[in-house]
Amino acid sequence: MAAASAGAIGVIALLWSAPFLWMVVASLRPDSTGSLDIASLIPAWPPSLANFRLAWESADFLLNYANTLMVVAGTLAVQLVTISLAGYAFARLRFPGRDLVFYLFLLQLMIVPPVLIVPNLKTVTRLGIYDTLWGVMAPYWASAFGTFLMRQTFLGIPRDFEDAAEIDGCSLIQILRYVLLPLAKPALIAFAIVSVVSHWNEFLWPLMVIDSPSHRTLTLGLASFVSSGEGDAEWGVIAAGTLIVSLPLFAGFIAFQRQFINSFVMSGIK
Amino acid sequence: MTSLSRIMLAGLGALLSATVAASAKTTIDFYFPVPVQGALAREMTRMVKEFNDASSDVEVVAAYTGSYDDTRLKTQAAVEAGKPPAVTLMSANFVQEFVISGEIEAIDDLLAENGGDPKTFLDDFWPALRGNATANSKIYAIPFQNSTPLVYINVGHFKEAGLDPTKPPATWAELVDAAKKLTKRDGDKITRYGFEMPGSYDYLGWLTQAFTMSNGGQFFNVTSPGEVYYDQPSTRGAVQLLHDLVFTHKVMPEGVIDPNQVSSDFFAGKASMVMLSTGSLSFIRNGAKFPYTVAFVPRNVRNAVPIGGGSLIVFKSITPEQRKAAWKFVTYMTSAESLGSWSRFTGYFAPRRSSYDLPEMKAFVAEHPDALIAVQQLAYAQPWLSTYNVVAVRKAIEDQVQAVLSGKKQADEAVRDAQKNADEILRPYNEKIAHVSGF
Repeated sequence: MAAASAGAIGVIALLWSAPFLWMVVASLRPDSTGSLDIASLIPAWPPSLANFRLAWESADFLLNYANTLMVVAGTLAVQLVTISLAGYAFARLRFPGRDLVFYLFLLQLMIVPPVLIVPNLKTVTRLGIYDTLWGVMAPYWASAFGTFLMRQTFLGIPRDFEDAAEIDGCSLIQILRYVLLPLAKPALIAFAIVSVVSHWNEFLWPLMVIDSPSHRTLTLGLASFVSSGEGDAEWGVIAAGTLIVSLPLFAGFIAFQRQFINSFVMSGIK
Repeated sequence: MTSLSRIMLAGLGALLSATVAASAKTTIDFYFPVPVQGALAREMTRMVKEFNDASSDVEVVAAYTGSYDDTRLKTQAAVEAGKPPAVTLMSANFVQEFVISGEIEAIDDLLAENGGDPKTFLDDFWPALRGNATANSKIYAIPFQNSTPLVYINVGHFKEAGLDPTKPPATWAELVDAAKKLTKRDGDKITRYGFEMPGSYDYLGWLTQAFTMSNGGQFFNVTSPGEVYYDQPSTRGAVQLLHDLVFTHKVMPEGVIDPNQVSSDFFAGKASMVMLSTGSLSFIRNGAKFPYTVAFVPRNVRNAVPIGGGSLIVFKSITPEQRKAAWKFVTYMTSAESLGSWSRFTGYFAPRRSSYDLPEMKAFVAEHPDALIAVQQLAYAQPWLSTYNVVAVRKAIEDQVQAVLSGKKQADEAVRDAQKNADEILRPYNEKIAHVSGF
């Protein structure tokens, strides 16, 4: 019985990891252009790093890494502040029209992002941050999903904690800083993962905002050699480039795996 | 957090000051799609750098902008946001839309300002390219990289099936016949397909147009951007041919195949004949480890194919200095030398006839005679589908042909539905030109 379920898990794990395995194998395959066995999962011997060299030369990856890191960190930093405060306001403060405002806020989740490209681009241009990393970050500084998540988390924390802190003379900001946020840590971490992954991988919006090569993010750098229309794909190089782009995320996930899984379980996001 | 934002500010500040230092030159933006793999993006960057190094007063910032469709989206969004690029390399059949919306400069005006002659300017370009470069008797785009569909043939398979590779199929009947002989079956399973072609968006519309034209028809009204001829016998026949290749003769795989799959199958010997762009020629030349040959698109009634590829367009609402700079850049990019070198690098044919008179081009063609097939086919080439809201109009037929390739629809119904949907998409334009009262 145990062996059977272990076997089933093994099969599922293999299915799930097949694309990743293929990427690793293909990226190490020498001379993959038009190769017959490019679809194979069996590694070629001896492996070659030629694809990585070509991919690395195809884009300025160090600069792209720096830009993506700035976008991801800058977006998340502001988001954590705005969603905590907004979540608190919707969970605890009483003001007229609170629920209406909250539902209006949630409506944002229903709008498909491409619809907002032109209006957002106009705003970004008017603010003078077109073709800057600020322009890439700005539209995400308020997050409906994050606000919703924090509101629900705060609602789940008993008021007694806040009352006790208030009796001890805490101000509102102190209550938030020393009582509520530490208790909401799993939700904050879960939101951080969702935010980092989605902005790390985002392509369309940076493509719209960025013109200068010096402001390109990783996805734009990768696109310079994977988009194929009339021509054809160098699979090995694409695999190597994708690996270069996604490696830090993989490394981060493996390093903090346990914490991440705990956060998702505790915050109820799946 | 604070130290992080300080680093970010410092970084941005450094970048800003770098741009200010370089602004003694007039800076212009140039958007280009990357329709092929990375090597091309590197070559394009090299060409732009060469121009910037040689130019004392113009600095071109080249931004690659994804696929042809992404480039159109990005350009349109940038125009609406008030940040138009100076120059874009745009899919040749999207030009018409920018003419309708009045966002691009007539090349005629730029020529007149710079001592050129609009009447003779296009004479050096292949006649087939002129249709997609002009609108209402004015030039709006300068062809840069162009293509036609070609049939790539595995010579070994041809000989093995008793076919003569020096006489590739010239008609639809010969195509079907050859494909039947080339297809290998193992019981019900097909181990090698006689013919394959991409069925993905953009490619499928182009190839359907090629078959419609070689069936004697026209795909769209070349002079009025509000009319397409999908529900016509010629288009119906083309779609029927695709249906029969898959379901009657079983020589082409069922369903929608993307271009990478088609070339991979060709390389792997799983497809004996494939229909792809001339833009794939360099890739096939480098990737095929066996003898291959290239042939015209077979005809049913006549030899005819649409052109493909991209052209340079110049945008309005840039400063007068940028306008001058844009013209200098476009002139450099479309010189016979630049176009020839780009053509040798990519496999696209050079739009200027004089490119082929250059010594380096003559040497190249002598070494790779297959590079000339696309050029010879140009004698039979005509403009590419170009209408109001062209992507949606193209998808209207592509969705239907995909349904046919997947066995969900018959050709009759498919072309009828395609026409109905396309007419709906074209209605705003047609209502505007049909009701002209109120002058």
